Amino acid sequence: MSGATDVSETAEAGRTLTVTVRKRLSAAFTLDVSCSAPPGITIIFGESGSGKSTLLRTVAGLIEPDAGHIAIGERRLYNSAAAEHVPAGQRRIGYVFQHLALFPHMSVAANIEYGLAHLPADQRRARAQAVAESFRIAHVLSRLPAAISGGERQRVALARSLVTDPVVLLLDEPLTALDHATASRIIDDLRAWNAAHGIPILYVTHTHREAFALGDRLVFLDGGRVVATGTPHEILDSPASEPLARLAGFENLFDGVIVARRPDAGTMRCRLTGPGPGAGVEIEAPLAHGEPGDRVRLAIRAGDILVAVEQPRGLSARNILRGQLVSLTREGPTIHAVVDAGARFQVDLTPGARDDLRLGAGDHVWLIIKTHSFRIVSS
Amino acid sequence: MDWTAIGLSVRLAALVSVLLLVIALPIAYWLTFKRRRWTFLAEAVVALPLVLPPTVLGFYVLLAIGSRSPIGRLWTAWTGHGLAFTFQALVIASLVYSLPFAVQPISAAFARIDSSLLEASAMLGASSWRTFVRITLPLAKEGILAAAVLSFAHTLGEFGVVLMVGGNLPGVTRTISIAIYDQVQAFEYQAANQTALLLLVFSFLVLAAVYALQRRPWSVSPL
Amino acid sequence: MTYVRFAVLAVLVSAAVSSAAQLPAPALAVAAASDLQSVMPALASRFERETSGRVTLTFGSSGNFFSQIQNGAPFDLFFSADVDYPRRLEAAGLTEPGTLQPYAIGRLVLYASKASGLDLGRGLAVLTDARVRRIAIANPEHAPYGRAAVAALTHERLYDQVRARLVLGENVSQAAQFVQSGNAQAGLLALSLALAPALRASGTYVDVPAAFYPAIEQAAVVIRASSRKDAARQFLTFLGRPEIVQMLKDAGFLPPRPAAAAR
Repeated sequence: MSGATDVSETAEAGRTLTVTVRKRLSAAFTLDVSCSAPPGITIIFGESGSGKSTLLRTVAGLIEPDAGHIAIGERRLYNSAAAEHVPAGQRRIGYVFQHLALFPHMSVAANIEYGLAHLPADQRRARAQAVAESFRIAHVLSRLPAAISGGERQRVALARSLVTDPVVLLLDEPLTALDHATASRIIDDLRAWNAAHGIPILYVTHTHREAFALGDRLVFLDGGRVVATGTPHEILDSPASEPLARLAGFENLFDGVIVARRPDAGTMRCRLTGPGPGAGVEIEAPLAHGEPGDRVRLAIRAGDILVAVEQPRGLSARNILRGQLVSLTREGPTIHAVVDAGARFQVDLTPGARDDLRLGAGDHVWLIIKTHSFRIVSS
Repeated sequence: MDWTAIGLSVRLAALVSVLLLVIALPIAYWLTFKRRRWTFLAEAVVALPLVLPPTVLGFYVLLAIGSRSPIGRLWTAWTGHGLAFTFQALVIASLVYSLPFAVQPISAAFARIDSSLLEASAMLGASSWRTFVRITLPLAKEGILAAAVLSFAHTLGEFGVVLMVGGNLPGVTRTISIAIYDQVQAFEYQAANQTALLLLVFSFLVLAAVYALQRRPWSVSPL
Repeated sequence: MTYVRFAVLAVLVSAAVSSAAQLPAPALAVAAASDLQSVMPALASRFERETSGRVTLTFGSSGNFFSQIQNGAPFDLFFSADVDYPRRLEAAGLTEPGTLQPYAIGRLVLYASKASGLDLGRGLAVLTDARVRRIAIANPEHAPYGRAAVAALTHERLYDQVRARLVLGENVSQAAQFVQSGNAQAGLLALSLALAPALRASGTYVDVPAAFYPAIEQAAVVIRASSRKDAARQFLTFLGRPEIVQMLKDAGFLPPRPAAAAR
């Protein structure tokens, strides 16, 4: 290791947030988490009620845990063993609340300058101006929060937290109320800021899109506990275990048996077993550990399966299965179809596709699935 | 027209509403933001004057400040005369009597403030005092105004407690409501009518001005 | 801490303002029984003119004043509608020794409003008439005229019959006001009040025989805690003057019995 790497590693360790907390919120729910966040964006991912906001609030100092310790590098913020608890206001942590919490009776400029009260007036104004410009809200500084757009309000909330030069930034589902285009632009702003400043950022979300767009790392919470840490791709795209697969939104989970391995092609053939008539259907899946005869669990997303009403020809996909449409139900913008192709597949379609293909229950269809759409998961 | 009584009543009401704001703000803050398991008991105590008959209140106040009580004796030692039946005694009695009218609107206004605003203030490094002054108070403006107006109006109209504790001494403790009572008893109906009408019009104008300035309907109410 | 400073400042200011609200008080503070309502103001102005001092009058029930004075109410002179309350104050050491002075004997009358159409020639028995829905008397708990009214009704064996229809005034003046305003059809009131212009205009009265009730001996006394005892004594002496005694007579009071001076 060269000296420069040592220094940068130490520098990074000095800015890394480490969190180990336990907090009992009710008879049914205890938060019990241990994780760390180096400089960069760490996604805290999970469903509603999984403990994401609670975790954020303990790091912020708004909730006192029952036990544990929280530190940024060497600087301890909380240590139950030594009864240390640094008050929220002294932690130098920026927090962007889910509903922004902009002070409604103060102008945008006053909101941004609020955290800089310890500075002389001219410095306050200069820094507020600078951060407003970098977030493209300098033109609304004199207005009240009620008089600006949703996207502008969001940027004010970010600017207000970041102007104080925090050592950690916490964001609680900040983009839920925004349309796609506005959210994307803010994501770009945040990434640009992150590249320039390099502090740990904890970003709470339950949306796959935001996780993939922003996250260097992802911590997956369920029922108050960490069930996985890794990159967004690792956890959401290739879930290692079945519970994770379920949480990551893989609708189809099958039992199967390895039939043959093809190491040179990187694939293997499996036969899907389980309840249902006839011999199980054979499919091609990515290569995994195991010998022919071994049992496996396979997962595939309903959105990754294509449907054809005529037998397809000349396709690259390795899995083309003939089956019968069992049912079609509409749920919001998606049509959920169940197709029996030797095993029951859940398939997601658009209403347009259903209308164009004139699909109805009982129709004979073909399912088209790429090899790598299948994921091998362990139970 | 008994201008002395009118002046006395207005002075009493103004003094009491100012003092009550000073007293009610910390009480309301404590009731709203520093709740313990037994806070409900404190709320009940604060609300007592709403349900107790004025004579019961007057009785207890007299007991507490009369010449035989510790407070009364201290006052006599200090000033040479008793505390009961003085203007100061009316102030004390009115502070107790109008307390819930000051505390409740302020407490309700505090409770309406979104807690995430207070948390945001804390996260940005503000002390409890700074959060109180720059966020809580401005956002509770309407409630504070309501508290001032209601304690003023309520004190102005007091009768039973004032009579018991003040003793109806002209120029000292004869408030406007007692003056009207006296005039009726002396069969001076004309004079009583004039005074009562003045009080009615004045109260109406004060309330109308306050409601005109409110943004939301019925945001100034006693409960 | 800033809040504490602000609070202390507010309290000091209000203390200053409130003490300014006390008028400088060289005025003689007189507590007078309600039956003196019609005559006392005239007596007081006369006294003020002669001595160029000020007199303030507070009317109410004698029993009420009794407990207020016990609690330190800053009156200088107490004109009770009986002699019992002043005697009890004297026994408690709250009065200036030797100043207890009977000043009048009060008289009870039966008064009925013109609108009631009652024939007072029948005396107290008229109170059983069906047209009499409410009868006003002073509260016997603390008003001497109330006690006298109950005594008279008991003497005539009417008390139990009319009891349910009695309305009690805080003092005899309020009882008079009940009748005068039409809320009660009849009342047992002080003669001094029945002679007042307002009641004279709206009704008629008839004496209740003195034998029906214990004499209403009215006495005054100087309060020991007073800081204007000389002026108070002066006022009492002033009351003994022949022309003042005449004014009291005209107002419906009998002169005090000399031999009944309280000892």
